[in-house]
Amino acid sequence: MGRQRWWRGLRARVTVAYAIGSLLLSFTVAGATFALARAQLLEAAESQHREQAYSNARSLRENVQSALEKEASPDGSQIDINTFLTNLSRFNGSQQALLLDDGTWYSPFDIKDQLQGYPQLVDGTRRWSVADMRIDVKGTVSYAVGIRLNSINASYFEVRSLADLESTLSSLRAILVGVSTLASGAGAAFGYYSARRALTPLSRISTAASAIADGDFTMKLDLEDDRDLALLGSAFNNMVDAVGQRIARERQFTSDVSHELRSPLMTLTASVEVLERRKDSLPDVAQQAIDLLSHDLDRFQRLVQDLLEISRMEAGAVQLQISQFLLIEFLENVMTQSRNPGLLRNFSPGDPDLVVSADKRRLAQVMTNLIENAEKYGGGATGITYEVVDDDVQIVVEDNGPGVPAEERDRIFERFARMGGVAGNRASDAGFGLGLSLVGEHVRLHGGQVWVTDRIDGQHGARFVVQLPLGPDRELHEEMAS
Amino acid sequence: MGTKILTVEDDERIRQAVTLALEEEGWDVVEAATGERALETFTASPADVVLIDIMLPGIDGFEVCRSIRRTSDVPIIMVTARSDTHDVVAGLEAGADDYLTKPFAPKELSARIRAMLRRVRAHEPGTLERTRIGELEISPDEGMVLRNGEELHLTKTEFKLLVELASQPGKVFSREVLLERVWGYDYFGDGRLVDVHIRRLRTKVEADPASPRYVVTSRGLGYKLQP
Repeated sequence: MGRQRWWRGLRARVTVAYAIGSLLLSFTVAGATFALARAQLLEAAESQHREQAYSNARSLRENVQSALEKEASPDGSQIDINTFLTNLSRFNGSQQALLLDDGTWYSPFDIKDQLQGYPQLVDGTRRWSVADMRIDVKGTVSYAVGIRLNSINASYFEVRSLADLESTLSSLRAILVGVSTLASGAGAAFGYYSARRALTPLSRISTAASAIADGDFTMKLDLEDDRDLALLGSAFNNMVDAVGQRIARERQFTSDVSHELRSPLMTLTASVEVLERRKDSLPDVAQQAIDLLSHDLDRFQRLVQDLLEISRMEAGAVQLQISQFLLIEFLENVMTQSRNPGLLRNFSPGDPDLVVSADKRRLAQVMTNLIENAEKYGGGATGITYEVVDDDVQIVVEDNGPGVPAEERDRIFERFARMGGVAGNRASDAGFGLGLSLVGEHVRLHGGQVWVTDRIDGQHGARFVVQLPLGPDRELHEEMAS
Repeated sequence: MGTKILTVEDDERIRQAVTLALEEEGWDVVEAATGERALETFTASPADVVLIDIMLPGIDGFEVCRSIRRTSDVPIIMVTARSDTHDVVAGLEAGADDYLTKPFAPKELSARIRAMLRRVRAHEPGTLERTRIGELEISPDEGMVLRNGEELHLTKTEFKLLVELASQPGKVFSREVLLERVWGYDYFGDGRLVDVHIRRLRTKVEADPASPRYVVTSRGLGYKLQP
């Protein structure tokens, strides 16, 4: 499996999609909010300004009219219009101008030119009595209202800066941008979270799949709580059942075949035994035939036993018969029974009171297979030792042979089903049967490990190490010693 | 007249071959193909040793074993398909004294039979003095155990096991030692033989088999008779 780039992962993609989606959404909403708020605020400010302008226009008209009456002067120019205009602006920062119909401008402020730049305002006021528009006054957005004062033949203009409003709006904009950014972040986080949630079933599937790969066909995928995935769950479970049943059938077949082989083997064994007892009374040729028959019957019998053992392991039906025993006594008995009596003579035992908890029959098979393996490939085992290493005991079988090449060291303990079957290879040699793979399986069933290295004392040969965990009762009880 | 062995086996060819081989070893062999036939034959003329295949059509080997046990303490050897199943324990609990797995060598069977007969006969004239341990009174000569003066009915294997433990009260006997002395096995005998027989022995000699007073387990390594 190659390394995957993170952004190709489903979770990353969902996160990014959520982030982009919430970014678009929040900025759209923020934009709309801003536009609406702006329109409303402007409308409110403008209508306030308009009201103010009307009231100012009225008071200007009254002032001008009363001044006209008081002075009874026909020449309006005598009246100080600029003072009136200045008074109007005193409290609210607006700027005023008055345009007489003869084209004379009055204004204490410098806005005449600006207003003249908007003829639609000036002409509109004259034509429609009232006009307003947003204008630019020296770079500042301002609101201008024009009101026709027919009684004095003039147009009154009032301009007010919208700079305050603009600054409010820019704060609002900043807030909205901030909120939108946060919302996008939250969207990304939510996307990540929901992707994870959405992926939980996937990780459950992958857990289940690994369990199944390890041979646990009882594994069930429970996706019932999710209607959309329940179908996938049941399909998956059906598949597991089907595969499991198929494998179980094949195992059953192996097991049945091995079982079936036992009945004829029983007959053969008993009959060959009778022949062997009567061997002396038979001609030479028949004797040779009986020897061949008896030897291969032995081999056949062991092969069937190993096959049965393997099929039991495959079926997970092995129950260890754990008992406690003295390791030294056990190994001495193994060596006594082996066809290599020299082993016992060279035996240099470790702690004589060491007690192990193991399936004695299976551990004996492990040791016997290792000794026979050494005989077959290593010129015979040269020594067996054991020592306690932390919470384990390591039982070591060494030989003087050519050793095992590094690249084959793991393979030789694998199940025979997976082996390449290279001729002459330790593990796959049919003459030896399934010895080392059974060693591996037995040791694993005990919660231990087995491995092979070169000898560590500098001599030629292989060093097989069986490591078993020690139970709590590793020392011999005092009563036993007496 | 020689020692008579009743072989209960449904496969005709196996039965013939085993009979042939056992006869070669010098035993008298009586055959039975079914459990029913085996019980009839045994009732008509009891054998000295019974060999029963567990897998029988009709009444199975366990049932045959239990039926025989009700009336007889004849040594029984079970033949099972595998050694690592519950069959072995079930067979021993049904009253079998020993077991073999198929395919076995008839030579091995002969050795087992000899070991059994030897231990049955070993008790005839005294190997152990009459012993008293608490409420138990063991009389090897009569092959009899009394608890509070009442006779207990032990099979020969159970009896031999008790006598072995009683030979050195308080000493722990490992399973291996008991397997060798009672059953004649080497070091690699099946410890469950000892465990199941100890269990059966307890149901007979102990007032409360769940918390034994006499036949005590020692740290999983063996058993002893508590004086």
